[in-house]
Order: sequence, then structure tokens, then C-alpha cells
Amino acid sequence: MNLTRRDFLKAFGLSAAALGLGAKFPAAPLALAPKRAPIVPHGGNAMLMDTTKCVGCKSCQLACKKKNGLPIDDQPVSLCATALCYVDMKNVSPDPSKPVIQPIKRQCMNCNDPACVSACTVGALQKLSTGPVVYDSNRCIGCRYCMYACPFGIPTFEWDKQFSLMKKCNQCADLQAAGQLPACAKACPTGAIQYGRRDDLLTIARQRINDPQGKYVKHIYGETEVGGTSMLYLAAVPFQALGLPALPDVSPAEASQMIMHSTPLVAATVATVLTGLYFVTRRLTAQPTTVPVHPHIGGH
Amino acid sequence: MIPQPLIDAVIVLALFILRIGLPLGLLMSIGYWLQRKLRPEDFESATTFDGKLTWRKRLGREINALPAWFPIVAMLMAIGAGAGVYRLAAGLGASTNLSQAYPWGLWIGFDLFMVAFSGGAFTLAAIVYVLNMRQFHAAIRPTVLTGLLGYASVLIILMMDLGRWDRFYHFIIYPNLNSALFEVSWCILLYTTVLVIEFMPVALERTRWERAKNLLRKLPVPLAIVGATLSSLHQSSLGTLFVIMSERVHPLWYTPIIPLLFFISSIAAGLAMVVAGGTLSYWVFKRSLSQELVGGLGKFIPWVLGVYAVIKLGELVYIGETGMIFSSGVYSALFLTEMIVGVLIPIVLFALRGCRASRAWSLVGAVTVLFGILLNRFDVAWFTLKPVPGYTYFPSLIEILIQIGVFAAIVFVYTLVGHYLPLFEGLAPVEQTPEPNVFRPEHAY
Repeated sequence: MNLTRRDFLKAFGLSAAALGLGAKFPAAPLALAPKRAPIVPHGGNAMLMDTTKCVGCKSCQLACKKKNGLPIDDQPVSLCATALCYVDMKNVSPDPSKPVIQPIKRQCMNCNDPACVSACTVGALQKLSTGPVVYDSNRCIGCRYCMYACPFGIPTFEWDKQFSLMKKCNQCADLQAAGQLPACAKACPTGAIQYGRRDDLLTIARQRINDPQGKYVKHIYGETEVGGTSMLYLAAVPFQALGLPALPDVSPAEASQMIMHSTPLVAATVATVLTGLYFVTRRLTAQPTTVPVHPHIGGH
Repeated sequence: MIPQPLIDAVIVLALFILRIGLPLGLLMSIGYWLQRKLRPEDFESATTFDGKLTWRKRLGREINALPAWFPIVAMLMAIGAGAGVYRLAAGLGASTNLSQAYPWGLWIGFDLFMVAFSGGAFTLAAIVYVLNMRQFHAAIRPTVLTGLLGYASVLIILMMDLGRWDRFYHFIIYPNLNSALFEVSWCILLYTTVLVIEFMPVALERTRWERAKNLLRKLPVPLAIVGATLSSLHQSSLGTLFVIMSERVHPLWYTPIIPLLFFISSIAAGLAMVVAGGTLSYWVFKRSLSQELVGGLGKFIPWVLGVYAVIKLGELVYIGETGMIFSSGVYSALFLTEMIVGVLIPIVLFALRGCRASRAWSLVGAVTVLFGILLNRFDVAWFTLKPVPGYTYFPSLIEILIQIGVFAAIVFVYTLVGHYLPLFEGLAPVEQTPEPNVFRPEHAY
């Protein structure tokens, strides 16, 4: 969504609020909806993947499967219900005859302002203040709204099962809570995946991209995308070539929540206007010989 | 050791009996009880006729009284029910073509359209009871029934669409107030309740339950206000569903004010549904509103669609992207079809007095409106989603059979209710206009 469109919504929302006497009770409707999860000051924990250091050994993919009890004998071709972490061998060469393979590890970005958390019908997804976006499989109804809401298209679905649920990476929130490394970061033999506090990782990443001899693209993917993510990427080739989409700096959840929070106001306005219309039109249409209110029911 | 598939099968069967079989059985027994109560003469005459009339003969007599195409509808419904059982037993992956890139498909498009289509119930109730235009009152009952059946079909399809359909009630006990789908679920639940209450007079009319009837007589106006409020919320929240999908929906359709567009177009779809219903019930049941009143409702349509078009195009002008309308290839074609067939043509048709006076031309106009809204909902939910490399979507046979089965079920129940309950009570028998399906300008009122 581009900026003009968002401004349009704001202008529109304001005029609607003014019409509905919203200025009088501005805070009331907002108080009903939960506030977005507060992130700890340093941005919680995060992971930094330096794709230039990745050799494509897929140790992280295997470690993830073992940690999450998924079958290790299949060959996933994308993120799926049996591969929450997937090493994508991207051909980044513009010349099709001379392929250049650049591996990149893909998984849930664990956004700071996650669209999936905002979208989930039953609140099965939650953003922890320490970083991970966790999933409660006992609540999930399998509606798949999170799959559409996610700007990265990350959540996957157990299509092969009779009763299907959603699956996604949660950066091993259980291991993090126990003070350990996420399985993929622990398994990486080249140090391409680093785990730590988000602000520390951003400092490291900035040093690398600002190094005069560096080969890096001067951008940390995930620093600002959709409000920032707990997964950061560095690369020597454009991020779009690695399959990471170009995204605005605000979460898709923002516009959606702005509308959702105006719901009580809209309801009150519509009900009031309709009630008013009823009394006005009743007076206007009142005649000496009035029509029976409801001629059918028992009226015979 | 019992094999896993057997356990699964038993679980599915048990769940099926518990969640589908039991409610259906309850519903059927209530229906039987109602029929005994409402038409006791059927049961009495059956036994006294010659003393030998068996239940089989009685059933045969009832079936003979129904329209000739009824068995076909019943068959389609049965096939759909079979496909539904297969979907529940086999899971989503095995029975549908939905995938990682297209987790929603035909069914969601249908839900969006069906809810807009059922908007006739709240629009007409608001016109009759809130705006006090009582002359349209006679159309209330068939319209409320259509709305009720529309919502019931959406509930069935939504159940089919859930990965854990056995947990459908979770949205009640685990609310997420930020979620548009949460608002949609709640509004469907509440508004279906309103529709059931609005329909109660039809079911109770021939009983002697005076206390309930007295209570219902006081309710139409509050119910119309509550119903219109709930509808304004959830017709629009179906649009809010797509506000979060800013990266997927094509910019020609994506706008943060899509909720407003969905709401306004649902009013147009609802009015079109009443107009089309007027003509269809004239042909099928030989009872309808007078064409003067149908045309009177049609008069609203150009205004509603006009506001819709101004906001939809105005937003594109505001953000300065009008060029997209012609430069987006197949998307342009879809957009222009939607705007010309679904908006421009009906505005012209319903603005002409001659068209409003003709049943056939009113039907044509209403069908173009409904086609435009249908295309719009499928565009937003399916056709214009940004393609993902390696994925395409076209509904599977099972998806289509379930969809057809649900449509057949709507016709099935509507016909039965029209046959046994006082649905068209307020409607005059067919008015005396010869060959009503011919466009004759001299019949203009």
C-alpha cells in the first residue's frame, strides 16, 4: 500500500469520526481492542543471517526438522508443513547460461508488528516481548487467514492431514526461554546465522555493510521492513533476487487495525442514525388512517 | 493393535454424527412436529381416507404436489452432501486444489457473494420498518427467507473451509478483537439469529402460540435496526478481510476503503436480489409484488450504484492511478467488465421508466447488478491475487460439487417452505398483465 492511500484512509477515518461525534468520545472504541505487543527496549532477541557466509550445507534445515520432530527423509522444495526452515538455492545470475547459486535460509521473520497476529481469528498467534511470534495449536481452527495476511507468505498448512493445522517457525521460543540458541543458529558451521539481541545484531550488521572493502548491498533487510522483523538479512546481491520481497516500512496490520478499532463507533453511529430516521419518517408518513404495523401476524 | 486409519474413520464418523447428524435429526424432528401442528388435517385425513393409506402413499402424494424439477434439485443436494462427507473425512489437501499460494478459493468467493446477495434482507427491512415505506412490506417474507438461507449456506461452506472444523466455536471463546475474520464470524452468528427471529412469524402463523406471536409483533422495528447495524458492520468487515492483504490484491481493487465499497455494493446487490426475486416468484410461484412496487425498489439502484462508482473511481483519481484502469492487461478487462456490465448498464436500465415497468427488463437489470457484484467478489478473493511462481488454482471437482450442492439445498428448502408455510401470504396473486415478459413501453406507469 502506498503512502497516499494510507493518508487517504486517515483523512477518511477522521471525517467519519467527526460525522459520528467521535470527537466527543475518542478513546472509548479503542479501549476495547488489545494494544499491540510491547517490544522490549532493545528489540528483543533476533537472528542475523549473512548470506555471503552461507555455503548451502542445509545443516540448519536438518537441525530444525529434528528439533520440531518432523520427518527428515523428504526433500522439500519450499517451506511446507514438514520444513519450517528451508534453504533456498537461488540462481542470482542475470545470465541464464552461467548460473550463480546463492543459498538463503528462509523461515518465519517473526515480525515486530506481525500481520498474522493481527489477523488470527482466535488469537492463536502471539508476539512475545522477547522476539518470537509463537503459535498455540490448541486454539487454531485452521482458517488460513494468517497465510494470506503474511506479507512474506510464510505460514504453511498441513494439507495432507484429515484435521489440518498451521505450521511455522517460532525461532525456538522454548530454547530461547531456557537460555539456549535456536536449533538452526546452533547447527550453522560457518557462522552465517547469528543469534542475539536485535540492537547488537543491527550494530554488527551496520559495521559489515559500512566496511569500505565490503561486498554488501547497503541495506539490512528486516531492519525496517513491515515495521522491522526479528530476522535480519545481509546479502551481496539485491534482496529481491533472493526471493525477499520489497516491502513498505509499515505493517499491513496498521490499516486493518485502524478500521477494526473504528467498529464500535460505526455501529453506534449507524444504530443512532437509523433510529432517528425511524422516528422522522414515522412522523412524516403518519396519516389519519394508519396502516397496521404488521398486518400478517395474527392480524387476520 | 487397531490400525490408525480405522481409529481415524471412527473419530470422523463419531464427530460427523455428533456435529452434523444430531443437529440435522433435531431439525427434522422439529420440522415433523411443526408440520403436525401446522397442518393436522394432513395427518387426520390420511388415516380416515380409506383406512389403508400407508405413510408411503402419503409421502407419494406430498411429492407429487411438488414441482417436477424438485427431484433433480434433491439429487444435486445429495451429491453435494456426499462430497461434503468426503471432504470432512479426507481432509482439505486430498479433496481441494487449495495450496500454499492459494489457501482460499472458490468457497470464500462464494461466501463473499452470498453475503452480499443476502443483503436484500437488511436493506428491505430497513426500507419497510425504518424508513416506514410500508408499501414494500409484502416482499419481506420471501426476502428474509432468502437471506436466512444465504447465511445458512455460508455457515456450511465456512465449516467445510476450516482445517479444524470441529473447533468452529473457538471464535466465541478465544476472541481476537483486531481480526477482521473474528468480526465477520460474530456478525454472521448474530445476524443469522436476527434473521431466524424475523422469520419466526412465518413458522408460527398457523399455530396457536399467541404469546410468542404477540411478542414478535412488537419486534420488527428494533430487529430491522439491529439487523441493519450488524449488516453494515459485517458487509464491510468482509472487505476489511482484504485490507491486510495489501501485498496480494491487485492495486486496482486494493484500497483501504474496500470495506465501504463492499457495504455499498451489498445494498445494490440486496435490492437487485429483491427485484430478481419479484420476477422469479412471479414466474415460478405465480405470486409477486406488483410490478409498480418492484420498479419502485429498482429506482433506488441507480443512486446506490452511482455512489459506489463515484467512491470507487474517485479513490483511484485521488491517488492518481487512473492509468491502471486501461494499462493492466487482463486485470483491466476484469475491472472494465465489472464497471460496465455491473454498474453502468444497470444504472441506465433502472433509470429508464420503461425498463422498471417491465418484469423481464427488471430481471435483466437485476441480473447484471448481481453479475457485477459476483465478479467483484471473485476478483478480490481470487482472480486478481498476485500470482506466485509455481502455483495456479482452479477448484477441484469436490469443491464444485459441494458448491452446487449448497445452491441446490437453498432451492430445496425455499421450495419446501414456499409449499408448506405461508411465505407469500401478503403477495397478491399474479396481476392481470398479459405477457409480462415482453418489453412494452406502453405499460409504463
